[in-house]
Amino acid sequence: MAAEVLLEVRGLSKRFGNRAGREPSPWVIQELSFVVNEGEFLTIVGPSGSGKTTLLNILAQIDTASGGEICLQSHAAPIGNSKSLKPGLACKIGYVTQEDNLLPWRTTLENVLFPLTVQRRLNEDTRAQAQMLIRAVGLAGFEDHYPHELSGGMRKRASLIRTLVYDPPIILMDEPFGALDAQTRTQLQEDLLRLWNLGRKTIVFVTHDIVEAIALGDRTLVLSRSPASVAGEHRNSIPRPRDIRGIMIHPEFAPLYQRIRVQVQ
Amino acid sequence: MATWQRTEDPNLARLARLAGSLRTRGDQLLVLIVLLALWQGLSLAFGTYWVGSPWGVLTRLGKGVMSGEILRHASYTLLEAAAGFLIGALPAAALPFALRRLPIVTAILDPFMVGGYGAPKLALAPLFILWFGIGIESKIALVAITVFFIVYFSALAGVRALDPRLVQMAQVMGANERDVARHIVFPGAVPHIFTGFRIAMPYSIGGAVIAELISANRGLGYLVQLSAMNFDTTGVFVALVATTCIVFLGNWSVNVVERRLLRWRPRPDLDMQAGS
Repeated sequence: MAAEVLLEVRGLSKRFGNRAGREPSPWVIQELSFVVNEGEFLTIVGPSGSGKTTLLNILAQIDTASGGEICLQSHAAPIGNSKSLKPGLACKIGYVTQEDNLLPWRTTLENVLFPLTVQRRLNEDTRAQAQMLIRAVGLAGFEDHYPHELSGGMRKRASLIRTLVYDPPIILMDEPFGALDAQTRTQLQEDLLRLWNLGRKTIVFVTHDIVEAIALGDRTLVLSRSPASVAGEHRNSIPRPRDIRGIMIHPEFAPLYQRIRVQVQ
Repeated sequence: MATWQRTEDPNLARLARLAGSLRTRGDQLLVLIVLLALWQGLSLAFGTYWVGSPWGVLTRLGKGVMSGEILRHASYTLLEAAAGFLIGALPAAALPFALRRLPIVTAILDPFMVGGYGAPKLALAPLFILWFGIGIESKIALVAITVFFIVYFSALAGVRALDPRLVQMAQVMGANERDVARHIVFPGAVPHIFTGFRIAMPYSIGGAVIAELISANRGLGYLVQLSAMNFDTTGVFVALVATTCIVFLGNWSVNVVERRLLRWRPRPDLDMQAGS
């Protein structure tokens, strides 16, 4: 795998706007720097409230930064003020949010086809691709169901493949499996790894769960408590394909877990 | 999280729903009988000169329908209400969408809209008759202005209830401003708009009847006025019952359209709103 840099974050800082007559709000992110390589599955762990979602919002261009630089495919992204933001930066950045954010008035299939519709890319091939993904995550037979008729896990799957279907070069994921029960969660992690193996997309996956970060990632960044900066970086050489259910008994798991755990506080 | 499982046996579910709706219908029939008995009691207590008896009203209504007289008046009132409703409700539903990107204009208009909403529109009827004459135009104008403010505020609430996360999601996926308006803002506001339609619908018929009461030579309001002048209380009741029937018809039409457009909503919710 060519270790070509796809995304570079340099000295990123963020504080939310001051309100008149109050103390300036504290820094949420300070001097955060890291790179993401082409085709890499990067996981980021950090305690809750450490600015993980804020970081992804800035990367996805739906929030501004107070300082620093972000380069995607060696082009600087506009992050300074909200007027110049380009959400999704011309469909190059996919974003799977914490909530599924499915459109309640669209069926499963219509939701999955939504990005293709607004990108005017709906044709035979892309439709077939959507159907393939729907089958791959076990949503076949539920194409005509509305989101309220789906279980939580099914909604998550739909929201996941809705981003995969338009094939953005980099996909951000914000604790997408956070609100699910352990069983469904493991199943979705397996689904995700299987889909990832098909295309080897570049993924930045944020979570507060160390086990999940190890099970999925090629590399794990640890964020410090607020203000967020990089507290540690860990290569993960557990070979793929991985057995997610048995990941904890892999000999490399325990030492890696231990090293990450002492940094997450 | 297993809400979809109830589709597993659709026949059983349909049967349960049918049984539930039949029980409701039975209870409604009971209430109707109680109300009719009260009416009959009042009629007996005060005499049919003051309160027409249910049976008398029913036979008069039957005769009026058979002779075509009631239908002629009713269709006239219905025409006024429907035309006024369309002229008032459609721009009112569209305006908040047009103003969505212009919050300053919305804010400037706000006190005037609140004023228009609060003002007693029925008091405008004499003015409209002066302006538009005693023909159909003055009735349509009164209905339109009555309906306009109700629907405007409902549609505005719908546009404001928009979930910004859905918009952000769509933008990340490459949706432009028009896509957002068409695929997110509009479908999200439709339930609110229909709430407005549902509230405004009886007002549209009421507005038409009131305008006819003041000055007209046709319509159910005219029938009420004519009967009252002739001390014919049964005639007044006949006109009122006919008016109520039109309100039911209007409500039913709103329900049918709403059901079709809002299939994506959870069913129990819709059932409760639709009242069936």
